[in-house]
Amino acid sequence: MDHLDYVLSILPFILLGLKLTAKVYVATLLFAIPLGLLAAIGKVNGSKIIKKILFFYTWIWRGTPLLLQLFFVFYGLPIIGIKLSPFAAATITYALNSGAYLTEIFRGGIESIDKGQYEAAKALGMTYPQTMRRIIIPQTVRRVLPPTCSEAVNLVKETALLAVIGMPDLLRIATQIFTRDFNIIPFIVAFVLYLIISSVLVKLFGKLEKKYSIYE
Amino acid sequence: MAMIRMSNIHKHFGSLNVLKGVTLEVNKGEIISIIGPSGSGKSTLLRCMNQLEKVDQGIIEIEGIVVEAAGDVGVKITATHQEVRTTYRKMGMVFQSFNLFPHLTALGNVIEAPMLVNNVAKAAAIQIAEKQLAKVGLLDKKDAFPSKLSGGQKQRVAIARALAMNPDIMLFDEPTSALDPELIGEVLSVIKNLAQEHMTMLIVTHEMGFAKEISDRVIFMDDGKILEDSSPKEFFENPRHPRIKTFLEKML
Repeated sequence: MDHLDYVLSILPFILLGLKLTAKVYVATLLFAIPLGLLAAIGKVNGSKIIKKILFFYTWIWRGTPLLLQLFFVFYGLPIIGIKLSPFAAATITYALNSGAYLTEIFRGGIESIDKGQYEAAKALGMTYPQTMRRIIIPQTVRRVLPPTCSEAVNLVKETALLAVIGMPDLLRIATQIFTRDFNIIPFIVAFVLYLIISSVLVKLFGKLEKKYSIYE
Repeated sequence: MAMIRMSNIHKHFGSLNVLKGVTLEVNKGEIISIIGPSGSGKSTLLRCMNQLEKVDQGIIEIEGIVVEAAGDVGVKITATHQEVRTTYRKMGMVFQSFNLFPHLTALGNVIEAPMLVNNVAKAAAIQIAEKQLAKVGLLDKKDAFPSKLSGGQKQRVAIARALAMNPDIMLFDEPTSALDPELIGEVLSVIKNLAQEHMTMLIVTHEMGFAKEISDRVIFMDDGKILEDSSPKEFFENPRHPRIKTFLEKML
C-alpha cells in the first residue's frame, strides 16, 4: 500500500513532465509530416537544385546524432545570436530530424507506386499536382504506414533527450524524483508511461492500416 | 477529315531507335489495327500520340491543331498551352496492364477524371460513370475495388474510365495481352460495340482474327517503320511483303 501511495504522490509531477513530452511530440509531428511529404515529392520530382538541397538536408540530419543537433541548437546557436525559446528550439530540432527520416520513408513510398498510375492519370488529362494529390499520395499513405509507425514510436523515445538539455520532460522529472528520494519507483512509472504511449501509437497505426487496406 | 496526322515521327531511347520516321493519318471514325513483332515500335507510336512519350522529331496534329512539333520541321505550335491540353484530352487510352487506380472503386475510377479535369459535379459524374459502366456490362460491380475484379473486368472498367471523358479517339495498347484466354472475348466485344458507334480507334493488338474483323485499315510495323498500310482483306489474304507473310504464318 505504501508503494501505491508513493506512486500517487509522485504521479502529478511526472504527469507534468508527460505533458511537456506530449506537447513537443505533437508539435514535432505537426511540422515533420508535411515537411517529410513535401521534401519527398521534391526528391522525386524536384528540379536539380531542389534535389541537391534536399539531399544535403537528409544527409546532415540523418547522418549526425540527434543529441548533437539538440546541443547545437540549444547551446551553439545562441552564441552566434540566434536565441530561441527552449520549446521552439526543441520542436524545430526534432521536426527537422524526424522530417528527414520521414522524407526518406515517403520518398520510398512514392517511388514504389507503379509508373502506370502516372500514365493512366496523364492519359485522363490530370495535371501533375492532381495526380499526386488524388492518385499517388493516397496509395503511398497505405504503403508508408508501417515504417511511419516505427518512426513515430522512435520519436517518443527520442523526446527523452529533452531531459539531457534540461527541459522538464517525463524522464527528467522522474530522474529528479529519483535523486530526491533515492527510490526506484519513479523510473518504473516512467517505463510504464512510455510503454503506454508507444502501445497506443502502435494500436492507432494498426487501425489506420486496416482502414487503408480495404482496397487490397 | 483527318483526326490525327503524324508526320515523320522519330523517337529513340538512348541509342535504340524505336521510331524511324513514321507518317500516319487517321480519319474520323476509322478503326486501325497496328500489328507487328514486339519491339517494332507499335506501342511507342501510340504513346507518342498522347504525350506519354516525347517525340524527338516530327509533327503531330490532332483535329487540325498542331500539338507537337519537335526538331527542325518548319512548323511551330501556335495553339496555347491550354488548347494543346484540351486537344490531348480528346484521346482516351487503354493500357495493357489496365492501370486502374487500386485505391478507388470501379465507380471511383470512372468519376475521378470527369470531376477533377472537367469540373463535373459529383452527382453528374456518377451519372456519366454509371452509364459507361452499364455500357461495358459492369454496373453491378461499381462498388468493387479493382483487386476484386478479374482481368477482363478490370480492362472493361478501364475502358469505361476512358469513355467517361467523352473522347473522340480511343487508343488501345495491347488491351488483351495481359488477359487469360477465356477473358479476352469480353474485352474484344466491348471494343466491337465501340466500333459500331463509329469511334475513331487505334488498336495495337496481337489478336489477328479480331484485327481482321474489326479494322478499316491494318498497319504493319517493323523495325520502327510502317511496312504496310492496307485494308484487312488485302493484308491478311494477300500480304505483299515477305516479312509480313512470315509474321502471319507464325501468328496463325
